[in-house]
Amino acid sequence: MLEVIKPGLETSIQDWPGRYGYLNCGYPWSGPMDSWSFRLANVLVGNTPGDAALECQFIGPTLKFQRATVIALTGADMQAKLDGEPVPLWQSIAVNAGQTLAMGSARVGARGYLAIAGGIRNPVFFGSRATFNKGGLGGMEGHALKAGQVVPVGEGQGRAGLRVKETARPVIATDKRWQVEVVLGPNDDWIDAAGHERFLTTDWKLSSKSDRGGFRLEGPDWTFTERAFHKLPEHGSDPANIVDHGYPVGAINLAGQTPIILVADGPSGGGFINPYTVPQCAFWKLGQSKPGEVYRFQVIPVTEAQQRARDMAARCTHDSLE
Amino acid sequence: MIYEQPRFLPGGDRFLTIEFGDELNLELNFRAQGLAKLIAQNKVKGIVEAAPFFATILIHYDPDQIGFEDLKREMTALIGTLVTLDDVELDSRLIYFPAVYLDPWSAEAIDQYIEKINPNKKRDPEFVAELNGLEDAAQMVRVHSGTEYWVAALGFWPGTPFMMPLDPRCRLFAPKYNPPRTFTYKGTIGMGGGSTAIYPVDGPGGYQIFARTPVPIWDMSQKMEPFREAPHLLRPTDRLKFVHCSLEEFEATERKCAEGTYQINAVGYQKISLKRYRAWADSLDRNARF
Amino acid sequence: MAHEVELQTAGNMWKVLVKPGDQVQAGDTLFIMEVMKMEVPHEAPAAGTVSAVNVAEGEEGLEAGFVAVVID
Repeated sequence: MLEVIKPGLETSIQDWPGRYGYLNCGYPWSGPMDSWSFRLANVLVGNTPGDAALECQFIGPTLKFQRATVIALTGADMQAKLDGEPVPLWQSIAVNAGQTLAMGSARVGARGYLAIAGGIRNPVFFGSRATFNKGGLGGMEGHALKAGQVVPVGEGQGRAGLRVKETARPVIATDKRWQVEVVLGPNDDWIDAAGHERFLTTDWKLSSKSDRGGFRLEGPDWTFTERAFHKLPEHGSDPANIVDHGYPVGAINLAGQTPIILVADGPSGGGFINPYTVPQCAFWKLGQSKPGEVYRFQVIPVTEAQQRARDMAARCTHDSLE
Repeated sequence: MIYEQPRFLPGGDRFLTIEFGDELNLELNFRAQGLAKLIAQNKVKGIVEAAPFFATILIHYDPDQIGFEDLKREMTALIGTLVTLDDVELDSRLIYFPAVYLDPWSAEAIDQYIEKINPNKKRDPEFVAELNGLEDAAQMVRVHSGTEYWVAALGFWPGTPFMMPLDPRCRLFAPKYNPPRTFTYKGTIGMGGGSTAIYPVDGPGGYQIFARTPVPIWDMSQKMEPFREAPHLLRPTDRLKFVHCSLEEFEATERKCAEGTYQINAVGYQKISLKRYRAWADSLDRNARF
Repeated sequence: MAHEVELQTAGNMWKVLVKPGDQVQAGDTLFIMEVMKMEVPHEAPAAGTVSAVNVAEGEEGLEAGFVAVVID
C-alpha cells in the first residue's frame, strides 16, 4: 500500500500496452508514454514488463510506503529522495515500511517511472488498469493520483541490488534535439513534394500545449496536392479535412496547418489527414521530450519500424539486468 | 467515389487503413462494417482490433504474428467474400432521442463564440440552412430531424457517434468551426462535413450546433440499465431518431436520467441489409418537401 | 536573507506577475508556467522585495531548477 502525500503534476497508474480492443468504441489505449523505461522498471522489481506502475510527469509525487517492498525508478531523472537520501535510477531498491519517497522536478527527460514489486492493484477497467485521466476511467477513481489516496499494491518477489546495463537503457537527449523515426502514411498522397521535403528538413518545436492526448508541433505551413482541394463537400472545407476516419496511434494529425502527434490518450478518429505516423520504437522519445525541444523526422520503412520494436522488446527483459 | 479496388495504407508499424472510397455513402460503411464482422468471425491471426469508420477501416495488428504484406493479402481475400455485399445483414437497434432543436444552450455557446472569438460567425442554424439552399432555420430543423441516423462509427471520444442520415433527402453539409469553439454542452447535437454527432461531455468542439438531447450517450456513473456493462450507450450500426421535445420535457428527462430512472427508448435488434435499404430509398418521393 | 525561486518544471513562461522592486507577501503568485496544457503557478516562499526577475513572458523551453526570481 502506497499513500499519496503530494500527487505531483499529473502522476497516473499505467500498464502496458494499455487498453487494447476498444478502438471501435472510441477508447484510447492509454499506457505509458515511454514504454521502454516503463517496462525496465517493472523487470527490475520482478514484475512482468507490462504490470501496472506509476508514470510521473514533469513534477513527481511524494509517496509513503506502508510496508516494506522493492521499488525501481527509470526514465527521467526527477531527483528522487528516500527519507532525504538520493535514490539512483535504473536500480532495484529496498524500501522499509514508513519510508517516504519524494520526487522533484524532471531535470533530464520529462517522465519518470516508478515500479513496485507486486505491481499496483487498482481495479481493472475494460481489461486494463491504465488511467485515461481526461476520460475519467481506469487508474484511481478514473483519474491521476490525488493527495490522501492509498494505492493498492500486490505481493511481489522483488530483489534489491539489480541494475539495468548501460547498453539496455534509452539515452535521453540533453541537447534539446531529437531524431524521431516516422513511417510514411496513411494520407501521404495529400501532401505535395515540397510539403514532404519541408516536413523532413524542418526543426519542429514541441509546444507546451502538449499532453498525453496530443503533441502539438510548431513549424512552417504545409502544402497540398490537388486531392486536398478538389474533393466532395463531406470531406470538409479545409485542405487538411478528410471524410472522418480512424486515427492510428502515433499519427501525425494535420489539424488545419498544425501537426499534432496523437499519443497514448489521443482521439481514435476524426476529420483531419495523417500524412505520417510515429512507430512504437520512437514513442519513448516523445515521452521524454519537453516543451521548446526540437524534433527532426526521419522516414523509415514499415518493416524496419517493426524490427526496431522487436529490438526494444528484447532489451526489456531480465537479460538486460546485472 | 467507390474505388474499384480498396487502397491499403500503412499507419506506423501496427496499423493498416483500408480505404474503400472517399465519400459518405452507406454502401461504403457497409463494406467497412461487413469486413469488421468477417474479421471477428474468422478470428484472423494477428489482428488485435478493427475500427470501421465511414468509408474506411482501421486495423490494429501485431507485427510479431503477421507481416504487413501478409495482412494485405488476407484482407484482400476476405474482402473478396464481400462481393455479395447486398445480402450482408448487420444487427441494428433503433434508439429514440428526445431533442430540443434551436435550443438555448447551443445559442449560448454560439453567442460566446461570436463575442470572444469570431464576431463575423454566422449563427449555426441559419448558416447551415443557407449553405444547403433551405428557406430558413425552421426548414433546416425539419430536414435534420426528418430521418433516422446510422451510427457509422464511434470515435474521437469514447462512445461518440459519427452518424449519417439514412433518408437521402436529408443529407446536409456544413464546414467545421475554424478556429474551434472552446465550449459546448454535453448532449449538444451538431454536424460537420456530412456527419452528425452528439457531444458526450462538456468541452470544445468544431461542429455547427443547433439542438440538444437530455439523454446521455456517455455516463461513468453507469446508473441507468443500458450503461451497466459499459459507460457508452451506442454501438456501431445502431440507428438514432431525434424526436422533438419541449424545454419542460427536456428538464424532466434530464432529472430522470440523473436519478437513473429514465427508460431509454430503444427498439431491439433488427437486421439491416443494403438490398432492403436500397429498395426503401428508391421508393421515396424525391420531390417531397420537408 | 535572499530567497531564490526556482522553476519547478520544464516548460514555457505564461505570465510573469512581478517586477524588480515589487513588495510581495509569502504565498503571492510570482509567475505562472505552462506545461501539458496546465498552469503551474509559483508562489513567494517569504515576504520581501523582488530584487531580480530572470524570466520573461512567452519564454519557451525553460528548464526546471533555473532561478527565475530572487526575493530579498
